[in-house]
Amino acid sequence: MKRECKRIISRKLYIFCLLIIPLFCLFFFLSLMNEGLPTEIPTAVVDADNSALSRRLSRQLDAFKQTDIVLHAKDFSEARKLMQKGEIYGIYYIPEGFEHDVLSFRQPKVSFYTNNSYIVAGSMLFRDMKTLSVLGSAAVGRELRLAKGETMEQAMIDLQPIVIDSHPLGNPQVNYAIYLCNVLLPGLLSVIIVMLTVYILGSEVKEQRSREVLSMAGNDIFTLLTGKLMPYTLSFMLMATFYDVVLYRFMGFPCNNGLANMLLISYLFVWASQALGILLYSLAPIMSISLSFAAFITMLSFSISGFTFPVGEMPRWLQIAANFFPLRHYFVLYANNGLNGYSFQYAWPSYVALLIFLFLPILMSFRLRQVYLNSVYKA
Amino acid sequence: MIQRFLKQIKAGLSDLLVVWRDEFSLVIHDNAILMLFFVAPLLYPVIYSLIYNNEVAREAKMVVVDYCNSPETREFRRMCDATPDVNVVGVCANMEEAKEALRNREAFGIMVFPRDFSNALAHKKHAYVELYSDMSSLLYYKCFLLTATEVSLEMNKEIQVRDMSGATAREEEVSTTPIEYEDVAFFNPKSGFASFLIPGFLMLLIQQTLIIGICALSGSLCDKKKYQTLAPLLRSRRGSFRIIFGKALCYMMFYGLMSVYLLWVIPTVFNLPRMGDAWNIIAFMLPYLAACIFFGMTISIFIKEKETAYILIAFTSLIFLFISGLSWPGCAVPWYWKSISYLFPSTFGLQGFVKINSMGASLPDLRTECIGLMVQICVYFVFATLVVRHRIQREEV
Repeated sequence: MKRECKRIISRKLYIFCLLIIPLFCLFFFLSLMNEGLPTEIPTAVVDADNSALSRRLSRQLDAFKQTDIVLHAKDFSEARKLMQKGEIYGIYYIPEGFEHDVLSFRQPKVSFYTNNSYIVAGSMLFRDMKTLSVLGSAAVGRELRLAKGETMEQAMIDLQPIVIDSHPLGNPQVNYAIYLCNVLLPGLLSVIIVMLTVYILGSEVKEQRSREVLSMAGNDIFTLLTGKLMPYTLSFMLMATFYDVVLYRFMGFPCNNGLANMLLISYLFVWASQALGILLYSLAPIMSISLSFAAFITMLSFSISGFTFPVGEMPRWLQIAANFFPLRHYFVLYANNGLNGYSFQYAWPSYVALLIFLFLPILMSFRLRQVYLNSVYKA
Repeated sequence: MIQRFLKQIKAGLSDLLVVWRDEFSLVIHDNAILMLFFVAPLLYPVIYSLIYNNEVAREAKMVVVDYCNSPETREFRRMCDATPDVNVVGVCANMEEAKEALRNREAFGIMVFPRDFSNALAHKKHAYVELYSDMSSLLYYKCFLLTATEVSLEMNKEIQVRDMSGATAREEEVSTTPIEYEDVAFFNPKSGFASFLIPGFLMLLIQQTLIIGICALSGSLCDKKKYQTLAPLLRSRRGSFRIIFGKALCYMMFYGLMSVYLLWVIPTVFNLPRMGDAWNIIAFMLPYLAACIFFGMTISIFIKEKETAYILIAFTSLIFLFISGLSWPGCAVPWYWKSISYLFPSTFGLQGFVKINSMGASLPDLRTECIGLMVQICVYFVFATLVVRHRIQREEV
């Protein structure tokens, strides 16, 4: 272990992986999403009518927080070109004779177009433009009813007798930072942990010192693993603590079962990631191959863990496969404990799964021992 | 004069071919590099497409707590259940039971009708429907919210018409919806996840496997101290150009083939958007590949060992994805990250390809992206020659 500490200090790579990369990722994603939701998404209004009513409509659209009208175009093709260039994400079209048609009850039709190649921006604009259209319609209806002598309150109730009162549990502002960062960041930490673990084990073989190290550990592979990996375990646990403190104390993201509980989950996840690293290297003791697998598995885990696209919507066999990725269980536990504040009993299988990951290296330890004894480096 | 020039070209070409041949044999004799250049690009997109193949969440599971239990609430429930997005899986007697279903992940949302729902409607007051949603999946939340809103609009209209006895059908229609509207999703009409993510992901995959591969190759030359085998070439003034071009040609060849598979076969098999004109795509891919290759050669200065290439580059994939303005809209990326993003080929590559492939743009529409890539090619080419020169000279000392 002492020897390993010296190795850590001796190489820039370790400092990079233990400190700089995790801190950079934390800073990057938190600063990227510090608004929580994308605001001021550029939009165009094509106002073929250019009347008082149509101008009022477009001013109202501009007043939405997420919408920023950057172009008032006269004809549609100009706006469409800009959309194709990716400079705007949506177009609101008000037809000619709009005001006239409204006043003479001819039901004019407004149209709105969103660019769903960029799904986040597209769906936000969709929501704003749809709200505007419904409200615009309601506003006219209100005027009609007021004219018929109804009171303001009565008119509103007549127009919208049923109201939807929505409660997004745990994330009332539908904040994207909460939705993404809480899984992305631990996931990235795990990418580094898995790969570094493979590298730590492999580099001894590469430098032809594996036999020497094994005898230092009294020929016991478990002593060797503990001694070699302990400094990294501690260091990554420290980093995970820092992550959790920043996310749940400093940023105030939801953590309904308390910080201690979240830390426990994070530590389990750190250990499971290290175990996965050991497992991968034991299975494929050629370092560059096991690193390829590590990259493949850890990058895939972001998609398959289901925090962006729900696991329930994937094909059956992928739903089963998802259980083999530690990040999946971390996500389930975070959602259960941090986001929703449910108790232990609702997510115990995921605790067990993470613990099973910890035992996997034991099964493979004889193989790792063999690898260390043979000590053949293949590029 | 001309003869000397021709001779130089001939020498240049033959050196180039030697470098090309050596690099080629390095690649095909290295299992790890073969995995990166072939196995990863072959398998990865297939798995990704399968994950996202359903495109959208359908039949999100919801439970209902109906304290009112009147014809109106039952109709509301039925209408929700009839939509493709929501599936009412059960009716709970009280809120506690419904929350239990959420905790057990048997449902992801709860719809609550308060006791006075029908009463309020009859007395012409606002009647509220409460909607609770588990936020661990935003897609389900969207399903619930859109469906509930849609159904409420529909029912509101019916109620208004019912209350307007004596009016003509036309009058009813006009007064309930004085302004009609229609929404059109340009490009990606299903608002599908695969159509949105996969095209960008494919471009990112090209860049990432390419730069990891280049760095790993360069790292393993460093490991074995074999960079000096190239030293004789460096004697002549244009030597480093020849080395760079020779290697680049080799990678270009592999990735030219892979691009056909990634950008043509995969979208065809998985029914992803493919609006782009093939010539436009080819014309755009060439500079993109070149920029990636020279970028890879440039950053190989930081990689002195084959294995560290994986560790130091793999994690950047997500950062490149978010900084490129695809998954997180470009207008919401802070200016400092935006300016940094222009250093990476993937930023222009993703944007450009999505525009061609998903939005049917042609090259003249992509001026920014093309100019960006050209500048990157020039700058990174110069850096790449310096890197090669530096590596060789250091080993000779």
